[in-house]
Amino acid sequence: MHDYRKVSRASRWLDVRRRKLGMWAYALNRITGIALVVYLYLHLVVLSLLLRGPGAWDSFVALARSPFYLTLDVILLAGILIHGLNGLRIALTGFGIGVGAQKALFTILMIVSAIALWVAALKIFRI
Amino acid sequence: MNMLKVPLQIFRYKPDQPPRYDTFTVEVPDTAHVIDAIDAAWAVHDQSLTFRRACHHSSCGSCAFRINGVEKLPCVTRVTDVWDGLTPLRLEPLRNFPIVSDLVVDVSDFFQRMSAADMTITCEAEAFLPFTVDSFAVAELEPKVVELPENFSRFNRFEQCIECGICMSACPTMAADERFLGPAGLAAIYQARNKTDDPKKVAHLLGLADGEHGVWRCHSAFECTEACPQAVDPAGKIMALRRELIARRFSKLFGK
Repeated sequence: MHDYRKVSRASRWLDVRRRKLGMWAYALNRITGIALVVYLYLHLVVLSLLLRGPGAWDSFVALARSPFYLTLDVILLAGILIHGLNGLRIALTGFGIGVGAQKALFTILMIVSAIALWVAALKIFRI
Repeated sequence: MNMLKVPLQIFRYKPDQPPRYDTFTVEVPDTAHVIDAIDAAWAVHDQSLTFRRACHHSSCGSCAFRINGVEKLPCVTRVTDVWDGLTPLRLEPLRNFPIVSDLVVDVSDFFQRMSAADMTITCEAEAFLPFTVDSFAVAELEPKVVELPENFSRFNRFEQCIECGICMSACPTMAADERFLGPAGLAAIYQARNKTDDPKKVAHLLGLADGEHGVWRCHSAFECTEACPQAVDPAGKIMALRRELIARRFSKLFGK
């Protein structure tokens, strides 16, 4: 007997081909969730620069104002918005609220994410 | 009625061979269902091709497999609804089940999982077994008592659910937790819970739903409900169970 699961299970979480909107939400939540965990550790590494004194920190802050780092900030914010607002959809449906309208809920929350991200990106690049 | 020449790309696996895809072109009427096309492939091209089928009208759930990556019942899926007229129609077994041969998967674990849920009779009408066939109004037949096997003390019935396994294949969480009760199992628990007020049974059923492999494993992809051919809405049932579990926790927290 061939266990097909072991061959393909790693790819299942992100396989959205021919799937519906809920699967896109599922995949997005996984990608953003993993990315945010990686960011958390990077953040702690960056904060550890404080241990090396004001010089090390100030030089990092100067670097963080470059367009490349500001773009990373926007990507980070996109991850937070998508994961947070999609998490709100999951929490609401988990309470039995909006179960029948979960697709509309996801669409609305992602539109809110896009608007918030656009506004935030404008502000970030105007710093 | 026009005839179509449909290329089928079929997943093949035999226990002593590595998996592969075979392509067969079959000629079927434009009114044919996918099960007719695979029947033709078996009859004309390769009689070692294995697949399940029985009722041909979406009531047994035995023929379920994936058509172009999406779980469907081929007995009620028309070829013209899923074939683009150019590329081969890709037929693969259900996911999250061990493959026995070609399109046949081992569903025994699926049924054992249901049995582990210890769902006793969930329909009042079935509580009066052994029953007689006269309730089915069979013409010119004398009513008689149906003799059941000795160990046939209980059975499951999930209403609407045809136990095809489609939801278990569509669920992405099944890939993460092999012991996850799955959409069908949790929908069955919901049905069983709604059929009883017996505190012991309710506690048992909700305990299963609240367990490590229960409702909290679901991450709200809602693919089970999208794929279900019988409108069981397993995701809706999972959310309803969550709601009850949360309400009970709040009540306990505030001492009600």
